[in-house]
Amino acid sequence: MLSQKTAAAVLDAALRSGGDFAEIFLEDRRNNVLTMRSSRIENVNSNRLHGAGVRVYSGLSSVYVYTNDTSLEGLLDCAARAAAAISGPDMHKAAAFAQTQCPNVHIIKELPSQADIRKKAEKIRAAGAILKMYPEVVQGIINYTDSEQRVWIANSEGLFKNDLRVYTRLTVNAVASNGTENQTGSCNPGAMQGFELFDRTVDPEMCAHEAARTAVRMLHAPLCPSGMMPVVIDNGFGGVIFHEACGHSLEATSVAPGNSEFSGKLGQKIASDRVTAIDDGTIPNAWGSENIDDEGNEPTKLVLIENGILKNYMIDRLNSRKMGMPVTGSGRRQGYMFAPTSRMRNTYIAAGNDSETEMIATMGDGLYCRKMGGGSVDPSTGKFNFAVQEGYLVKDGRIIHPVRGASLIGRGSEILMKIDRVGRDMQMAQGMCGSLSGSVPTNVGQPMIRVSSLTVGGAK
Amino acid sequence: MDEYIKKLLVAAGEAGITAAEVYLASSDRFRAMCQQGVINNYTVNSTRGLSLRGIYNGRMGYAGTEAFDDESIAQLVSGVIQSATISEDDSVQEIYPGDKEYPDVDNYAPELDSVTPEEKLDYIREAEKTLLACDPRIAAATYNMISTASGTVRIVNSYGLDLQMRDNVFVSYINALARDNGQSAGESAMCVGRTFRKEEAVRTAKEAAEKTLFMLGAEPVKSGVYRTIFDPYAMGDLLGVFSGIFSSENAQQNMSLLAGREGEKIASDVVTLVDDPLLKGGFESRAFDDEGVACRTLNVVEDGVLRTLLYNLKTARKAGVKSTGSARKAGYAAPVRVAPSNFFFKPGTKSLDELMQDVGEGLVITEVGGLHAGANPMSGDFSLIAEGYTVHEGKKDRPVEQITVAGNFYELLKSIRAVGSDLVFPGGGIGSPSVDVGELRVSGK
Repeated sequence: MLSQKTAAAVLDAALRSGGDFAEIFLEDRRNNVLTMRSSRIENVNSNRLHGAGVRVYSGLSSVYVYTNDTSLEGLLDCAARAAAAISGPDMHKAAAFAQTQCPNVHIIKELPSQADIRKKAEKIRAAGAILKMYPEVVQGIINYTDSEQRVWIANSEGLFKNDLRVYTRLTVNAVASNGTENQTGSCNPGAMQGFELFDRTVDPEMCAHEAARTAVRMLHAPLCPSGMMPVVIDNGFGGVIFHEACGHSLEATSVAPGNSEFSGKLGQKIASDRVTAIDDGTIPNAWGSENIDDEGNEPTKLVLIENGILKNYMIDRLNSRKMGMPVTGSGRRQGYMFAPTSRMRNTYIAAGNDSETEMIATMGDGLYCRKMGGGSVDPSTGKFNFAVQEGYLVKDGRIIHPVRGASLIGRGSEILMKIDRVGRDMQMAQGMCGSLSGSVPTNVGQPMIRVSSLTVGGAK
Repeated sequence: MDEYIKKLLVAAGEAGITAAEVYLASSDRFRAMCQQGVINNYTVNSTRGLSLRGIYNGRMGYAGTEAFDDESIAQLVSGVIQSATISEDDSVQEIYPGDKEYPDVDNYAPELDSVTPEEKLDYIREAEKTLLACDPRIAAATYNMISTASGTVRIVNSYGLDLQMRDNVFVSYINALARDNGQSAGESAMCVGRTFRKEEAVRTAKEAAEKTLFMLGAEPVKSGVYRTIFDPYAMGDLLGVFSGIFSSENAQQNMSLLAGREGEKIASDVVTLVDDPLLKGGFESRAFDDEGVACRTLNVVEDGVLRTLLYNLKTARKAGVKSTGSARKAGYAAPVRVAPSNFFFKPGTKSLDELMQDVGEGLVITEVGGLHAGANPMSGDFSLIAEGYTVHEGKKDRPVEQITVAGNFYELLKSIRAVGSDLVFPGGGIGSPSVDVGELRVSGK
């Protein structure tokens, strides 16, 4: 809990050395995790994260100091340490706080802290029982996690807001083995919801079937061939390709210093005409949504790319100063241990008009990626690498058989131009995205798309 | 804090928790970056977190907090009871009464704590200046960071054990971007240690520039099978991703294919893998593990034979062996798992140049990427984006990028032909010299 009186004192102390902007972010967060391994619930852990961070700017320099000691003395000490590391020519005073109530568009029906822990355990057991039905699945790791994050944000421009963010998620990972080889499959749904996630959105049994099915299928699959070929990537988690290969390069973090391959390209064509991409923080109860961002800014629905033309970057407060452009509600952070920076929220390629059957039938010989694994990218060069969790070999426009061990390699700018089909059914999937300001919940998404040619790394 | 810990252990005992352990981690950190002469991401913190573990009705429960108000004691105690009640882990678990003796490990250099913020900022300013002056083709320092951390870990339990260790560390990392004729390349260099030496700013900047300039104009090689050497950085990354296969916990849960294979030959004769928590100056050196068990040096693989997996108290009891002192938490509030300390291929006698001479024609891999996606620690399969250079007539030849190297880590251990002498710990506890891994499948153009 942060009072306006405390916040005002801290902001004044933070501006003492000539800083021109100060902010305090205070967080009290309760996390619960239950983990099942080997059909047993093994790890049940509750943790209370608690701390605050003070940020001061002078021009383009920024300082961030944080602590667990949120007493008035602790916060003033934090502010003093921040002020000591910065200096500016003029003295600034913090503005009086405006009474701002932040509207809650993400309705929570059952707070996880109010839900009986035995009910949480039941969801895990339900998924565990399904995995047991697959004789080749030798191991399953099932996680239930929930989190209630209360934040208070105040800054020297008169902003004073608080928010409650509630997240609930189930993750199922299945390992299938034939004694000498193991393959994995996963299903990880979550939402900005309370325990009501399980009322309609998520069925633990279906998740377990899905994870087991992939693992077993891959166990029996031959190795994927390598080389350049056309690739079709299915909807849902397939969107990770856009997230990694393009999304990160549109974050101000890499655009502002000119390190992104998309720096200075607003208004230019960076993708094929079929590509429209959106970063939306406003979708009710979606995994990557927000009432306010972690700088207290209002959320937006941001068009990144429209019919191939670059329209917007994702911009946080500090980078907004550097770039001379407005913030986009994209300032996010894992928690008080991180200064916020520009991050993705629910980021997806919008639905197009192409038929899913046609795009496979006309692709010739290539790879169909039904489920993608994780990936990474170097934003300065746009080089990326993704694992294919569930892939199929396509010969002459027909899906022949599953293949394992494939990965997709290329550059973001290149793949965007080579998207020659965009399907109609857009789906999103949940992930945790790690970057400068820590790990934050993000949705990736897309309809089925086709890339005319891409390097496939295989083991054969 | 002493008073709080005492109150907490008493409250746990009164609530029926028969044995309890308090784990307290506190740290002070400094971190800053410098780009285009401007200091950014300047972050300072002092934090502490505490967790309570305890046995309730024969089962282990966990809870943690970063708030130390009165409410937090009751929260921790009820958290542990709830956790133990829901837990279905019926393996015998224990809070450790302690060993008679603990090794002497010195991980703390007091001089490092007295380096001023201004000296640290000068270091990264100097690093960027040096980098940009190296060559007109160097366009930017895309990442230029310095950080220091100083912390303590304390374990206090209801048997009267009270252990404490203190350590500090200094890390700098610089990544260069070079552009020339429409081509770009980015490479990095880092410094990790407990001594702050200004000269490292210049050394790391020059190293990053040199590596980056060499990579300009890099191209994929033709797809095929290549005789391959991993340099210490690439091999260290690979070993890091697959180090979990030596965990007894993974083995007991069918998540490592090394289950039940202690005593068997799993690697070529030239392979010895050491886990050495007592390594002088090691990044992960420690006198006791995260359950309070005294640490010792282990040959995990000796001349190709798997001598032991890594054990904590729980997995050792299940296997009927003694804990190897390998209990590890990923953070104060994390569950006790198993992980190596300073874990490395024991170096051989040949330099990288000599290894290349033996190879004649082939590849040296200097960097592998996409590890969390392209490497499957359970099957051992990997398919990783990689870069490096070709070896022609026994010498370093042309830069290579945008290739993938694919194989299986278990197979790779068996196919290793030689281990070099140039042991490096690239930034943590995992270390390696250059390793000639024999033939590997490479996908390029």
